[in-house]
Amino acid sequence: MIRFDSVSKRYPEGREALIDVSFKVEAGEMLFVTGHSGAGKTTLLKLIAMIERPSGGAIEVHGRDLARVRRRGIPRLRREIGMVFQDHRLLMDRSVADNVALPLLIAGIPHEERGKRVRGALEKVGLAGRGKDAPSGLSTGEQQRVGIARAIVTRPALIIADEPTGNLDPQLSEEIMQLFVSLRQTGSTILIASHDLALLKRMKQRVVVLDHGHLIDDVPGSEVA
Amino acid sequence: MSAPAAMASPVRHSRFAMWRRQHAWCLRDSLRQLVRRPFGTALTIVVMGLALALPLAFYLLLVNVQHLATALGDSQSVNVFLKTDVAADGAQKLAATLRARADIATVTVRTPQQGLQELAAMQGFGDAIRSLPDNPLPFVLLVEPDAGANRAQVETLVAAIRALPGVDLVQDNGQWRARLDALIAVGQRVTLLLAVLLGAAAVLVIGNTVRLDIRSRANEIFVQQLIGASAAFVRRPYLYEGAWYGLAAGLVAVLLVLLLEAVLAAPVRDLVASYTGRLHFGGLSWATLGIGWAIALVLGWLGALIASSRHLLYPRT
Repeated sequence: MIRFDSVSKRYPEGREALIDVSFKVEAGEMLFVTGHSGAGKTTLLKLIAMIERPSGGAIEVHGRDLARVRRRGIPRLRREIGMVFQDHRLLMDRSVADNVALPLLIAGIPHEERGKRVRGALEKVGLAGRGKDAPSGLSTGEQQRVGIARAIVTRPALIIADEPTGNLDPQLSEEIMQLFVSLRQTGSTILIASHDLALLKRMKQRVVVLDHGHLIDDVPGSEVA
Repeated sequence: MSAPAAMASPVRHSRFAMWRRQHAWCLRDSLRQLVRRPFGTALTIVVMGLALALPLAFYLLLVNVQHLATALGDSQSVNVFLKTDVAADGAQKLAATLRARADIATVTVRTPQQGLQELAAMQGFGDAIRSLPDNPLPFVLLVEPDAGANRAQVETLVAAIRALPGVDLVQDNGQWRARLDALIAVGQRVTLLLAVLLGAAAVLVIGNTVRLDIRSRANEIFVQQLIGASAAFVRRPYLYEGAWYGLAAGLVAVLLVLLLEAVLAAPVRDLVASYTGRLHFGGLSWATLGIGWAIALVLGWLGALIASSRHLLYPRT
């Protein structure tokens, strides 16, 4: 599903965000990427979504070499990935349903099917019947659920989330993480960047640890303690 | 939720159906965005409408001047006013002299009585004519130069007639017509220049409005790009927005011109009737107004196209 082969990323100002990083994620696997602030977690996700290009090495997503994906092909690749952001990035002037429906509109899904899928996604994240609400009327946790519903509504094979619990209290964080675990059970591959070690320990999933751009540890779920 | 099927789902729908649905959504969404800020939208539409109405109004003026020129015909005729002391036999002798020239096709003698009758037939002159103690008009010779005569030859003929004894005044209608044609040509240039300048202003107004809209919706654009919207999808609502502006501004311009026509029609008709009695005030045709409206739509779209090309942030990679 995802393969990083000696991947490096150096930003134009000279900062090295990732140095010789190699790992592999199988289809249907759930993986946490952790490390201190500036360790390279977000850069790693950006490389998968082609928001950035690597300075060296090779990345494969869905068996596709990203170096061969041209600029015009990036939107298509992104449509195959569900993205969740720390700050939700919801459109506050649109309803919850409109926010969730956006990826379906982009994919050109018909109106009736769109409505069905939006209702399904909202139900999945525990927001059934809240489609007409404005995002500003929701709590932070609910807003994050809307963000997750938007990421899963196209039924992507890969979901990436950048600090999805960064702004949430421990109880809400646990709920959101359990939501991701339930999504994994449907066959999606999930990659989550998080610095919340206590939460990762409770989740018992594979963890990749980054430090100053280096991959320093790759711990299987069974060994997380 | 069923197994992940992101790659399979969209393929079930034809590309044309997808394209059509996306356009339908963009059309509605762009209209919704305009309705959400009614004051700003109305202001932009009125400014653009006024800018587009001006060249249309000039064109209306020009069309009516052209009507006037058409009514005057292409004649190069020369009116020869004889001195008041020239009697009927003197006028006939002069007419015979002129008829003998090869560069003259016809000469018609108009008596003072005929002139007076013509004047009396004109609106507003009847009472004034009746109050005159005697007829002050001279004999007039209506000279039609040879059909093949050019402007220089007619001017030579006019100079020769002017030198004849008994001739008081020579009115060269062709020269007047040439001046009118030159004025119309200047008017056409001015109208074209005005249309280009105000059209460019309309493009800039829409471009700036769309630019500000793109700035205010930067987050939405960023999110769309992150979740896989193509550059065309992101740009489309702004192009529709420009087209909506153009469409509405074109309608404002057309309505303003129709209003102008309605307000000016009666007084201008009275004015031209008092002079010649054979002219009419004509409005712009529906086809012309339709073309003006279509141009407004294109200008709105063009403004949005320029703004979105310059200010939309596409994926950096």
